[in-house]
Amino acid sequence: MERPPRSDLQHLMERLAEGDRAALPPAFELLWPLVRRFTDRHLPAGEAEDVAQEALLKILYRAAEFDPSRSALAWVLGVTAFEIRTARRRAFRRRETSEASSLERSRDPRPTPEEAAIESEMQALIREALGALRPEDAETLRLYAQGRRAAIAAATFRKRVQRALDRLRAVWRVTHV
Amino acid sequence: MSEPTVSALAIQARARRAYESGRLAFALRRAVWLVPLVWLASSGCSEPAAILAGGAGLVAAVTFCLWRGEAWRRGVAPGLLAGSIPMLAPTVLHAARHVCTGGVCLLMPTLCILAGIAGGLALGALAPRPREAGGAPFLSACLIAGFAGSVGCLIYGTIGVGAMTLGLLAGATPVLAVRRPR
Repeated sequence: MERPPRSDLQHLMERLAEGDRAALPPAFELLWPLVRRFTDRHLPAGEAEDVAQEALLKILYRAAEFDPSRSALAWVLGVTAFEIRTARRRAFRRRETSEASSLERSRDPRPTPEEAAIESEMQALIREALGALRPEDAETLRLYAQGRRAAIAAATFRKRVQRALDRLRAVWRVTHV
Repeated sequence: MSEPTVSALAIQARARRAYESGRLAFALRRAVWLVPLVWLASSGCSEPAAILAGGAGLVAAVTFCLWRGEAWRRGVAPGLLAGSIPMLAPTVLHAARHVCTGGVCLLMPTLCILAGIAGGLALGALAPRPREAGGAPFLSACLIAGFAGSVGCLIYGTIGVGAMTLGLLAGATPVLAVRRPR
């Protein structure tokens, strides 16, 4: 008489735990539809096959650890259920991230009135501080801010920028701190 | 049954690879427990290279037998149990601060022979029968007991290993001879 599938699975998992490679093809024949049915029932169609594959690979990766005193069916479904939960969590996080980024995209790119006020006040303060510097220092910093350089050696220009920044800091400390 | 599709064959190939790598990881996780014992055996030795090589052989043999499974796996526990006696006896003696000074010290080779005999008795009693499953379980038990014993007795060089091997043979042979076939 043909044995019921559950004891077949138990027997095959025991053989796999022992290291019997000949049990691998029949175990695959039995496990793949079982895992597919289980994931199909709990996940959307597109995701179910990927998760079933992951679950099957994990089951076989851990087959050597299978304890023959435990139910093979419960063990297999337990590993698959864990993979389903992981996939659901992953999908949930993906959805959260995409919602957050679509919110970010839907935001008006123009600055808010408050941001615009702060920006213009800051520009005025910088202009005022630059105005207190010598014209050569202000010109050096303007070129530096634009990513350009005066027609002098790079090392000399770096030194001038350094000095101009020191003077700007000194002016800033006196007028705004 | 219908012919498997290309994707089913691909999944089957991946499944086989997953199974083999899982078995290897399982075997390594168990064999790695031997590393502290090998380190302990080599710690009192002035030239630990040979002991470490023996230890690497032991870890490799245990890993192979556990990965291969079935008949090969059945010899691992008896081999380790039998081999642990000649493996640990010299280390214990060394820890008890026995130092051979001047002339020829006969204590260590004698200890290797005695520990080998004790290990051999255990091997004869516990190891699967030589003709069982084509001899693979017996072979793996002997291999592992030999490697484990050599890790302990290499502290006395090749003489120690030779003495231990003779002891193992002397201990195991009579026990195997009197064990009744099932």
